[in-house]
Order: sequence, then structure tokens, then C-alpha cells
Amino acid sequence: MTAITRRILLGSALALGLAGTAAAQFPERQITLVVPFAAGGSTDVVGRIVAERMSQELGQQIVVQNVGGAGGSLGAQQVAQADADGYTILMATVATHALNPLILTQKPYDPVADFAPISLLVLVPNVLAVNPELPVNTVQELIDLAKEQPLAYASSGNGTPLHLSGELFKSMAGVEIDHIPYKGSGPALTDVLGNQVPIIFDNLPSASGHISSGKLRALGVTTAERAPSFPDIPTIAETLPGYETYTWNALFAPAGTPPEAIEALAVAARTAMADPAVAERMAEFSATIVASGPEELAAHVQAEMAKWEPVVRDANVTMD
Amino acid sequence: MELLSNLALGFGVASSLTNLGFCLIGVLLGTLIGVLPGIGATATIAMLLPITFQLEPVSSLIMLAGIYYGAQYGGSTTAILINMPGESSSAVTAIDGYQMARQGRAGTALATAALGSFFAGSVATFLVALFAPPLTAVALKFGAAEYFSLMVMGLVMSVALAHGSVLKALAMVVLGLLLGMVGTDVYTGAPRFTMGITQFADGLNFVAVAVGVFGIAEILRNLENEHDRQVMTKNISRLFPNRDEFRQMVAPILRGTGIGSVLGILPGGGAILASFASYTVEKKLSKHPEEFGKGALAGVAGPESANNAGAQTSFIPLLTLGIPANPVMALMIGAMIIQGIVPGPNVVSEQPELFWGIIASMWIGNLMLVVLNLPLIGLWVKLLTVPYYVLFPIIMAMCSIGVYSVNSNTYDLFAVAGFGLLGYVLSKLRCEPAPLLLGFVLGPLLEENLRRAMILSRGDPTTFVTRPISATLLVLSLAILVLVFLPQIRKRRDEVFTESDA
Repeated sequence: MTAITRRILLGSALALGLAGTAAAQFPERQITLVVPFAAGGSTDVVGRIVAERMSQELGQQIVVQNVGGAGGSLGAQQVAQADADGYTILMATVATHALNPLILTQKPYDPVADFAPISLLVLVPNVLAVNPELPVNTVQELIDLAKEQPLAYASSGNGTPLHLSGELFKSMAGVEIDHIPYKGSGPALTDVLGNQVPIIFDNLPSASGHISSGKLRALGVTTAERAPSFPDIPTIAETLPGYETYTWNALFAPAGTPPEAIEALAVAARTAMADPAVAERMAEFSATIVASGPEELAAHVQAEMAKWEPVVRDANVTMD
Repeated sequence: MELLSNLALGFGVASSLTNLGFCLIGVLLGTLIGVLPGIGATATIAMLLPITFQLEPVSSLIMLAGIYYGAQYGGSTTAILINMPGESSSAVTAIDGYQMARQGRAGTALATAALGSFFAGSVATFLVALFAPPLTAVALKFGAAEYFSLMVMGLVMSVALAHGSVLKALAMVVLGLLLGMVGTDVYTGAPRFTMGITQFADGLNFVAVAVGVFGIAEILRNLENEHDRQVMTKNISRLFPNRDEFRQMVAPILRGTGIGSVLGILPGGGAILASFASYTVEKKLSKHPEEFGKGALAGVAGPESANNAGAQTSFIPLLTLGIPANPVMALMIGAMIIQGIVPGPNVVSEQPELFWGIIASMWIGNLMLVVLNLPLIGLWVKLLTVPYYVLFPIIMAMCSIGVYSVNSNTYDLFAVAGFGLLGYVLSKLRCEPAPLLLGFVLGPLLEENLRRAMILSRGDPTTFVTRPISATLLVLSLAILVLVFLPQIRKRRDEVFTESDA
């Protein structure tokens, strides 16, 4: 071993040691995790499971605060404006950090400049499903039917990831299907179960109970790979190559948060997600664990914004 | 007998010491938060959700359910005592309940509400046990067109809520409809009447509007007159209803239970209509409709039963389909998911002890509530003897905490202040707040379903009359409209005849 490598090793050990002490100091009091949606939704559930395990890791309580409203923008805005000390963090989603910034004409925050990425936690597949009375069994049959007769699909609301998954599907398949927005997934599911609307784009976790019971027929998942929880459901990409959408959950702190705090939170998040108990909960929930580092999350946000920008533009979705 | 064995299983689960304990904690908490003005079941369940992490799934859902129907129970207490409804259902109770309290009959009103709720809760629980799956099938027949027609019927009935001028009641309904427009348009995403404030993007908060126009306005009105400052007259004769009053409340309770049970099943906002519908029916059937709005016992008994029956039957779509009927049910779904239970039609067959345990606990919980509440009536009534300079600031503080806790949104507090002033002005103009609230609640549902039905029918308005359920509801609305206006028309014609005779 040469002197130089030894010095580098020593230096990095020192740096690690320093980071270690700083990290040990970081959470001196309780941390607030802002979930920008109402309690009980999928983001809230992921947030609470992760927060509970991270609290054990950090030795300080992480309190979940639900700040719902404006499709997640209110909660995200609150964290963007919070003190950059690592004690206020955000449970972000594809809505707060890719779609809303593209859709909103008045931008309440900048998803890149106003935030310090911590960790991309999970990817959650969406699913294209139909009422069993609709005479289609595959994505291709649905596309063929849509070319013959007018159809409509339900989504959890205008400008939501599910709406845009539907719009991306329409543009790639070259079909026209009417969009019926609802106030959330629950009422949208109700109308598809009652066959008031034949088709739905939904989160896989929220639709999974109805798919297993046969009340809904799943045609395809929106991820590039089949979902481990439902290996029998093909992907939409098997029919429309290149089709890929999913909902994701990630942790962000306000921009300017000290790197030691970010590091401590990222390490805690990674440890929490590696816990078999947490992994089991996430699997029940059909969520795929990523548990990335800050850099990967930053790159992910850029990639998502680049992917959705043309979809949002083509679908002509805007909000003031 | 499958039902009996299922019920036996349910009672076996629900009557374990632990589950009885959590049921008691639930109804106790529910009653307490229901009694505190402005804090509703939604906020409390949201706050307690993390605690349920550590509990068994059955225990946690039993407790959360207890909070929900306990709060329905407790909510009527503030509506009756201080004219401060925390939820749309108790807004109706406030109309006659508060008048009864002002006449020194607060005890009677509270006892009526408690007994009516208990009866309705027990019957509705039985209905849930017996008919949950077939009733769900009926609920799924309701699409956008049906909900639109149902909301039309609700609006027509709202006119009957007024005990003064019909014109003013209509004006209040329209004002309520307009206030309900505030927020993001569901179909285009355009913000409407938000004045550029992102915090109003999801519309005005119901609790803020209700607390403002009812409660704060009442406080302002009381403060303006030096001599009339006590909230209530002090001659409270007796706490419990007498034999005659018992006889008066039986029929309204029965009818209220029926109406509430039916409407509670509809997940798209049917339960909201239950208490309003019951009030309308009672007023129409009453031999003394002029008493309504001035302290009619039936005006408390009917709506309170309807509201509690609806609260129980709204569990049907949740338990059989995994579909939330209201924000509280959405939270319950969250609680199930946190526990690793996938909500959906399989819960009944895969988790029978959960399904039947919750149903059995609802009956036990209702019994606990009536046992808890009857002795407390004396205590609540005593609260009214607290001097106004102590009571009013406490009410204001509790309201503010309650409203803020729902969304952690400071703009909701501005809304309370604004609507308090509006409510005061309206009371000076002798306009009543109840029709306004109904318009506010129904407006968004009416619009959403109208537009959804029109998109689904591809612009063909005949969809409302060609679908049988929708057509029936519209015919019923027309009939109610005729019933409401007929007495006035007849009166006017009589006047014309008397004049010509003379």
C-alpha cells in the first residue's frame, strides 16, 4: 500500500468520522414529515410506515403532518418555505415534483431549486382495469374497441398521475377515450365497479382488492416490468412498447439544508427500507423499494420532468 | 342460521375485554370531541391514526368506528346547547334543538337526541348485518345521473327548512350554491372565486362556514344586547322528557331511522341528505308545522335518528366494497391498509372476525353511548349557567383550534371570521343559515354529477329521464315542490275569493 493511498484512506476515514459525529448530533428534536395529501391515502400510508421505522433509526420521533390541498402543492410549498435545518421534510410524489410544476401556470415552488433531495423511496405501479362487463380481455382488444365505439375512462382527478397515464396511453395507442375526472380514487372506483364508467386508471394498491376478487379485470400494469405482487397481469408496454408510468414517493428537505442532516436522513431512510418488516408491508402494497441516495433522486426528478413535459403539452392540461 | 353464527362470532370478538375497552375509549373520545365545537370526527381520527399502528386490526377499527358514531352523538350536544353544529347533519338539529334550549327544554332536547340516536343506531346496525351485500348492489346502481336527481330532490326539500319567507330561503340556498363553487373546477382545473389564494383551491372548509354562520354569528348577536346576554333562560324545569313528549317522539324516530338507513348506503353523499330529508318529512306530516323552527320536538327526534342511522349504514359500502362514503370512511380505509388489510369485497369472506366484530361493536358502542350520555345531560345543561364572559371566549378558542386542526390551514380561520360576520348580517336580515349550508354542501355534488352525467351521455340531457331511478327521483322532487307551494297557492286563492265575496 503506497503512502498516497494510505493518506487517502486516512482522509476518508477522518471524513467519515466527522460525518459520523455530525450525523449523531443532527436530530436533536422531533422531525416533521409533511405528507401533502389527506390522511389515509397511499402516500400517507407509505409515509407513516417509513416515518415509524426512521424514528427508531434516528432516535427522535418523526411526526407525520398531513397538509392536503391543491393536488399536493400546499404541503410542498410549506416545506419549500420551511427552515432549511432538516427538521421539516416532505413526502414528495410524482405529482408534487414532476406533474404539478409542469401543469400549474402559477408556480408556487420550483421542484429543483427549492428542494434538497434525500431519497427516492418506492415506485408504485398504476394499473389499467375495466369492468368485467366490457368485452375486452387484453390491451389490444381495448384499443380495437376504442377505435369502433366511444368509450370513457375514470381517473382520480384532472392533472393527477392517473389522468396523465391515461392521456399517455391514448396518444401512444392513437385512440380517443373520454376522460371522466373524480375527486380521488374512491369515487372513481365506485363508478367503475357499478359499470357507470367502463375503464379506470388507478394505483395498483387501491385497485388490488377488486382485481383479486374479480370485480375488476386488470388489462395491464403501467410499469416497464410486471408487478411482483401480480405476476399474471401483463404490462401495457408488452402491447405499446416504451409505455411506462408509475407513481413514486421520495423524501425532500428544503434547499440549503446542511449536508450532514441530509446524509443522516438518507442513511436512516435506507436502513428503514432495508428492514424486512417494512419490505413486507411495501410488498403487500405492491410498492417496489428503491431507497436511493440524494444524487439518484435529483437525476430521477430531471428524468421524470423530461418524460412528462411532452405528455402534459400534448394533453393540453393546465391549471392556474 | 348463518347470520346467527356470524353474529355470535362478531359478539365473541367484540366482547373480549380488550375490544370492549377500545370501543369504550372510542365512543368516549368521540363524545368528547363531538361536544367540543368545531373539532370533528375527521380531525380526531386523522390525529389518532398513528396510534392504531400498534393495535390489533379489529381493535383499531372498533375504536375508530366508535369515535365516528360517538362524534355524531356528541355533535348534537353543541348544536342544541350553543347553536354550533360541527357537521352538516347537526346543522338541522340546531334549528329546533337550540330553540328548545332557549325555552329551558335543553334537557328534553338532549334526551330526545340520545334516545333517537340509540334506537336508530341499533336498527341500522341490524340492517347492516342482515342486508349489507344486497344493499351494496343497489348503491352501485347510482351513477352520475341518479346522484344529480337525488341532489335536486335535496335542494327542493331545503326550502322546507325555512320557517319564514320562502323567498329568503331560496336566496340562501342560491348563496350557498355559489359559495360551494369556490375552488378548483373538477373538469377543467380552473380555479374559481379563489381570489388567487392557493389555500382555497379545494374550496371553503365546511366546518369553517358552519361554525361561522351559526356559532360565531350567534355569539355576536348575543353580545350586542346588554340585557339579553345569557345564552339561555335559567328556568330549566326538568331534564327528561315526560310521558307526552315520549309519545310525540316515537313516530319521528321511526321515520328518521328509515330515511337515514336508506340514504346512508349511497356512497356519493346520500348520508348528507338524511337529516335534511327527515326534517322536511316531519314538518310536512306534523299537525303543527308552525311549531317547526320554534322548538318542535319532532324537529330534533327525526333528524337526529336519521343522522345516526345514516352514520351506521354508511359502513356498508366500506365493509362490503372497500369504498369510502365520506372522508371519515376514507380514513378508515387508510387504517385498514396500514394494518395490511386490503379493503375490498373480500374482507367479508377473508376476515369474517373483522367484519362481524366491527358490526357487533357498533351495537355495543351505541349502548355505551346512551348509558354514558343520559347521566351527562345534567352536566351539559349546567354548562349553560356559565357566565357569557367565560363561555364565549372558550367557545371561540375551541372553534379556532378545531377548525385549524382539520387542514392546518390559517385561511380556514379567516373564513371562520368572515362567515361569522356574514352570519351576523344575515341574522339581522332575518335570513336563516340552514338552507345556506345545505346549498353549500349540495352545490358541488350537484354540479359535479350534472357535468359527469352529461359527458357520459355525450351531451344528451334526456339521460336524466330515461334512466328509471333518476326519473323517479325527479318526479318525486316535482311532487315535493307542489306540496311545498300548494298551501301558499291555496291561501292566496282563498284570499282572492274572500275579497270577491266581500
